[in-house]
Amino acid sequence: MKNKKFVILILIPVFIYQTIFMFLPILGNAVISFMDYNPLRADNVFIGFDNYVKMLGDSVFYKSLINTLVFVFVTVILNILISLTLATFISQLKSNKTRSIFRMIAFLPCIAPIVASSVVWLRSIYSTNNGLLNLIIKACGGDSINWLGSSNYLMISVIIFTIWADIGYNIILFSAGIDGIPNEFFQASEIDGAGRWRQFFKITLPLLGRTFAFVTMMTLISHFQMFAQFNILAYKGLGPQQSGLVITSYIYKMAFEHKEMGYASAISMALLAIILIITLIQQRSNKVDWEY
Amino acid sequence: MKLKLNRGVSYRLIIFVVLSLLALIIIIPYVWMLSNSFKTTAEILTKPGNVFPDDPTVSGYEKVLFESMFFKWLRNSLWITTVTTLAVLFTSSLVGYVFSKYSFKSKKILFIIMLSTMMVPVQATMIPMFILINGMGLYNSVWALIVPAIFSVFGIYLCKQFCDEIPKEFMESAKIDGAGDMLIYFRIVLPQIRPALGALGIFTFLDSWNDYLRPLIYLNSTDKMTLPLALSYFNQQHLTDLSATMAASALIMIPVIIVFLLFQKQFIKGISMSGLK
Repeated sequence: MKNKKFVILILIPVFIYQTIFMFLPILGNAVISFMDYNPLRADNVFIGFDNYVKMLGDSVFYKSLINTLVFVFVTVILNILISLTLATFISQLKSNKTRSIFRMIAFLPCIAPIVASSVVWLRSIYSTNNGLLNLIIKACGGDSINWLGSSNYLMISVIIFTIWADIGYNIILFSAGIDGIPNEFFQASEIDGAGRWRQFFKITLPLLGRTFAFVTMMTLISHFQMFAQFNILAYKGLGPQQSGLVITSYIYKMAFEHKEMGYASAISMALLAIILIITLIQQRSNKVDWEY
Repeated sequence: MKLKLNRGVSYRLIIFVVLSLLALIIIIPYVWMLSNSFKTTAEILTKPGNVFPDDPTVSGYEKVLFESMFFKWLRNSLWITTVTTLAVLFTSSLVGYVFSKYSFKSKKILFIIMLSTMMVPVQATMIPMFILINGMGLYNSVWALIVPAIFSVFGIYLCKQFCDEIPKEFMESAKIDGAGDMLIYFRIVLPQIRPALGALGIFTFLDSWNDYLRPLIYLNSTDKMTLPLALSYFNQQHLTDLSATMAASALIMIPVIIVFLLFQKQFIKGISMSGLK
């Protein structure tokens, strides 16, 4: 259809709005990263690449970057392995009802506010004296573990929590992918005598290719941005010896606790760069496309 | 469903048992939250292993409901979430309709530019946004959370996909009958894309209800807080009172769990069809 007036009437406000709340902030962030910006000060000056130079020499930044990378890669790999396995298992169940009940249960933690879940794990599951995990360990004769208070265990604890809180999404996405594979493929392979493992690796996995790439990228991107559970499970967003400090927490702290917004912007540009690189890699690999 | 292969009941039984155990693990934290929320602090300390409280009490819930600003927080959350969700549904469907059904200059490139912002992490815009919100005088107001959120690129994308499915003839015959662009939007487009709106509404509701980072940045005083922010505040205020904290957590989860149970079919469909979270 054509109606220039109507299109302009709708799109002009949209682009004004997008400019104010999206394009300008993206640009503004880049500009602020070249400034010594403190919101409480009247004049803020440009300092060139100083913030970036500072970042490259900042051991806390590297610490947060390493923590983030460890968290993201361990969590994402485990998340995908577990959710793909569970989705495959669920799809092999006979009754439609049981299948949807299992998917629903797995999805529960995804809809509950992550702050509420974090608080529950902080106070009722991970707490040293009367947390459920330590109660179980002690009942089995083990020594209780300081889950959140020791630098050895903090990241492991957050990873376990995050997998619990987030696999539901991917289970549903993988389930949809598996349901989309024509049943004849499985029947034919069964006639040929293929076992379950062979079916999984020769049919399910290859035909899930696109879903798999998509899920991996979305999970990677979302995990790089996780913040709430670190803010609550790691004491003051840091944890012992900064073992729970991730890049998002560091940006938040720099910007809103230390009021060093210029420096925080520079760090957020690093995060943006990481996410951009993942997106580009994904788009590259997506070019190899096919249908079944 | 697809796998209707008949290969031994025992295999399926094993899978069922494994899945049931995992389902139990997923549910246990909630059970534990409820259990602790009905215990007295003394019982939590002396008999931490009890699943069913010896001496069940609702004092934790009373503390949350009557001694904190719970209803104020609930109202803030409900207000922000409702306005945001309705606004997103309206803007997404309208703009999605325009991008899908109208032809105009550089439509493709405009759409791509818009879509490209979907990948930008919150952290890469939150500092200028904070300065902007401050400058607009919205700091510490619920509008700081509503105004920048009434528009969703993901929503537009989803609605456009669904509008693409509406046959051209529908629109054309309506046009011939003299219907204007807005009338077509209300009478034809909205009813046709209802599944998309259902899914989008649920996603937006959840995102808005569960958001933590933006309230943390924009809200400052206790009476302006949303529920998740208030919970983390409440938790710090009640470090010794576990049952009240668990009661507060349960109270925050209940509305979303109700919404989920009511709409779970649309939920699961919505996620699979959008392919996006």
